[in-house]
Amino acid sequence: MQRELLTGNGAAAWGARLARIEYLPAFPITPQTEIIENLSQWIDGGEMDCRMVTMDSEHSMITAAGAAAVTGVRTCTATSSQGLLHGMEMLYTVAGWRAPFVLINVSRGLAAPITLEPDHNDILAARDSSCVQLHCSTCQEVVDHMLIAFRLAESEGVRLPVIVNLDGFYLSFTREVVQLPDSRTADAFLPPYPSDFSLRFRPHEPVSAGVAVLGGSTYSYFRYQAHLASLHALPQYEKICLDFADLFGRQYGPLEEYQNKDAEYVFIMIGSYATKAKQAVDSLREAGWKIGLVRPRILRPYPEAHLCKALQGKKGVAVIDQNISMGKGGILYTELRSALYGHPDAPLLASFIGGLGGRDIKEEEFFEMASVLKQASADGTPPPPRLLYTEEEMREMRALQTIAGAIPVAQGDSR
Amino acid sequence: MKSTTDFHSKRDLPQKHILGTGTPMCPGCGGLAALHEIYDIMGEKTVFVNAAGCMTLLSVYPFTPFRGAWLYTAMASAPAGAQGVRDALDILKVKGAIKEEDDLEVIVLTGDGSAYGMGISATSGAIDRDLDFIYLCYDNEGYGNTGHQYSAATPHGVKTATSKGSRGYPGFKKDLFSIWAAHKPAYVATIIAAEPLDLAQKIAKASSLSGPRLLLALAPCPTGWSFDPSLSIEIGKKAVQTGVWPLKEYVDGKVVHTKIPKKRLPVEEYLKLQGRYDHLFHPHRDTKTLQEIQDRIDAYWHKVTYS
Amino acid sequence: MYRIRFHGRGGQGVKTASRILGRAFFNQGYAVQDAPRYGAERRGAPIFAYVRASRTPIYERGIIQRPDCVVVVDDTLMPVPAAAILQGCEKRTLVLLVSDLPAEQWIQRLHIQGNLICLPKAGEGRESPFLWGMACVGAVARLLGVLSREVLSDALRQELVTLDKAAAEQSSNTALDSFDEMKATQIQIKESSVAAAATYPPPHWVDMAMEQGPHTAPAIYAAATSEKLATGLWRTQRPVIDHTICNRCWWLCSTFCPEGAIHVDSKGFPQIDYAHCKGCLVCVGQCPTHAIQALAEQEASRLSGEER
Repeated sequence: MQRELLTGNGAAAWGARLARIEYLPAFPITPQTEIIENLSQWIDGGEMDCRMVTMDSEHSMITAAGAAAVTGVRTCTATSSQGLLHGMEMLYTVAGWRAPFVLINVSRGLAAPITLEPDHNDILAARDSSCVQLHCSTCQEVVDHMLIAFRLAESEGVRLPVIVNLDGFYLSFTREVVQLPDSRTADAFLPPYPSDFSLRFRPHEPVSAGVAVLGGSTYSYFRYQAHLASLHALPQYEKICLDFADLFGRQYGPLEEYQNKDAEYVFIMIGSYATKAKQAVDSLREAGWKIGLVRPRILRPYPEAHLCKALQGKKGVAVIDQNISMGKGGILYTELRSALYGHPDAPLLASFIGGLGGRDIKEEEFFEMASVLKQASADGTPPPPRLLYTEEEMREMRALQTIAGAIPVAQGDSR
Repeated sequence: MKSTTDFHSKRDLPQKHILGTGTPMCPGCGGLAALHEIYDIMGEKTVFVNAAGCMTLLSVYPFTPFRGAWLYTAMASAPAGAQGVRDALDILKVKGAIKEEDDLEVIVLTGDGSAYGMGISATSGAIDRDLDFIYLCYDNEGYGNTGHQYSAATPHGVKTATSKGSRGYPGFKKDLFSIWAAHKPAYVATIIAAEPLDLAQKIAKASSLSGPRLLLALAPCPTGWSFDPSLSIEIGKKAVQTGVWPLKEYVDGKVVHTKIPKKRLPVEEYLKLQGRYDHLFHPHRDTKTLQEIQDRIDAYWHKVTYS
Repeated sequence: MYRIRFHGRGGQGVKTASRILGRAFFNQGYAVQDAPRYGAERRGAPIFAYVRASRTPIYERGIIQRPDCVVVVDDTLMPVPAAAILQGCEKRTLVLLVSDLPAEQWIQRLHIQGNLICLPKAGEGRESPFLWGMACVGAVARLLGVLSREVLSDALRQELVTLDKAAAEQSSNTALDSFDEMKATQIQIKESSVAAAATYPPPHWVDMAMEQGPHTAPAIYAAATSEKLATGLWRTQRPVIDHTICNRCWWLCSTFCPEGAIHVDSKGFPQIDYAHCKGCLVCVGQCPTHAIQALAEQEASRLSGEER
């Protein structure tokens, strides 16, 4: 095992290389492009035995990925943001075919207004597609979860696309120290693509795939089987993580729990910003707080039982959503609330929306969220949902609006 | 693999039909007629990659007419599906997982709605990438599967579900043949079920080549064009005899007409058989539009003859 | 509430007929719901339509499971399993059928417990399948006993506006003649109540378990299974080859048959697969020696029955 300094994109590319992907349909989009550039260099240099083809769109790219996977080769592809949305029709479709491949998504906020910086509305738009979602917090997790993702996608009983998610900029372009798995151990962990799938295209094996159905009963059966397969991916993921730990020594599972054992208060987050929460936990603990972090690594299937167990008996939980469902609020918050409903000792929940379009979440904001949470728990009344947005930001926004001619000068020129 | 020499006369045409009966296509479907003539020649060592259209419903669980492989994709990306299948088969061949003689021909099956519109970007991309595939379009000149609204393939003046006015569809049929030819692919051909020998020869030629190959079949549609199903083949023949549907092919940068009508019939002979042109004849004869349609056909053939 | 289910083929005016009935109820002051329903199949394939009418608001939706009246615009549909014509029929359900066969014969053949009325296919005002639909709606309107001739007449005018004047008038006349024709019968369509919650048949739900294997994907792993579908039942006209006239040409009929439903036998004669021939009659028009003629399906099956 080799220590390297790798960006999140580099780690994802290394993961694909170690997985010995055979096929890479691609399409460039910031901040993902570096992944396919890395892989293309390795392919051109003869370091990887893989066929790469640049498609005409993400819609085409996901179609080709699904088609190749059902024909019988190990396939990987990558996108981000608008690209994921452009391919969304096919994401649902290829998952419906039960095509096992891995899609890397580098999270980035959605238009309009268009932005390059990250939040999670892109990946959460794919929430109901039957694709499994794995969310990474460090570059190390990215490379490891690429290998785990292929094992999971190709498991008999799962056979669904798996999305490995990492945040744009904060992981994609950020170099960190990564323990690179050696290729022999990677091969031991991940066997070659199974050749015995019955859904494949060969002579003398008639198969009509992805066919239409008439009537809700037939439709319900196939859709519900995809749901059950997704649910099955949760224990399967745990099992694969144990195998991974045996070979590589790094422990993963549906949740990362940090300082959670004796915690009275908990932050819930996904993705790279969760390491900021870890630091806040350390600082708060120094100040005498009993506080921790719970971070789901897998979001579909939803680790409901794990979350309920991890949060049982806590006084309060602050859910920090780097996304927003317009007209409802934070998606993680909403889902957690439904998971905890009816549990006798469920904690008080507080909803915070932060980090939209890459907006930073400062340490003092974590401290403030903790205070709000503590107060609300003492009062027994959940606070109203809070957008993390300061007076200073508001003043700057007004100044921009003034320049844009969107508001009169007198009103905007408050400085 | 078939060669063009297999089909000298109509007696050489397949007598055995291998596309399964029992499909839900309309009686008299000109697209189905073309597909079964083609399938008889191409055989079951094929993967059909289907774009959304009438023929989506060829395979409705658990019924399929195919004896080989078929994959339904979506409206915009059937050529991308073909890319994934072709590339995967090539990878498997290189690795020895399948033998050369066990290779499959990948064929996109699409209607005009996708071929002339939503799917054109994916199609152009596949041709650019020199994808080794056949692209079979059954062109019934409208969005047939949704009740025949006008598409980019609808001819001028036609009445459709979304051009019901007295002047019909104001636009003109897009020239897909030329759009393809401009990409300089391996092969482009127009075909029609009503001319099975010409069709068979072109299928044979297409299968002997590799690279992107278009087979564009005019598909008379009793339901959308409003004519009695029994006239389906007759109308196809008239399309050729009046010069509305030139049978031609593009190979090596050259366009060759494979069947030039010796004496072209007036286009009215074709139009008057179809309800979608009724308004040009009833209650009053729309001489101006009829003449315009005739003039455009004459101009086309003038160019063919004198250039 | 009245619940009336229409069965017919695409192109037989089933949707129009159901809408005329719905409109007539509406004109009479009823709460109304009407809807057509069709599957993947096209022209000639079975379709349904539903009409509900009530003096109180209607909350039911979709398929009528227990009809008060079933209207069958074309009796060739009776043996088609996909049409499911008698599904949910009880003793109180009236079956109205367009057929030239006597009602007794249908009652016997299908073991029908309740009333069945036949409207003949042949005759004045019944020249096209669309008019059969019109005859049905006129008859049903009268058999309900709660709709006046005037509201039906208004409904016909309102719903047939897209037809040209002559066709609309002919359709109207067919419906109204049929309304008058039914005055002689004592049979009436009776309203039924909604399902009772106190006693109901349990739905017998299963706990669907996760299954593994290829069958859990929407894919078919067999060849040409479509041949199990008897699309020959769509046929209203049957092509019949006279092998004494057939000159065994280059089998135009076989090549041109869009369905691939004509094969050439060992002696070189074309043979039609009637289980799948949809009756488009392309072969009749293309046969160079005119060896193929079209017969009305019922006539043809009667003749072939005699020959047997």
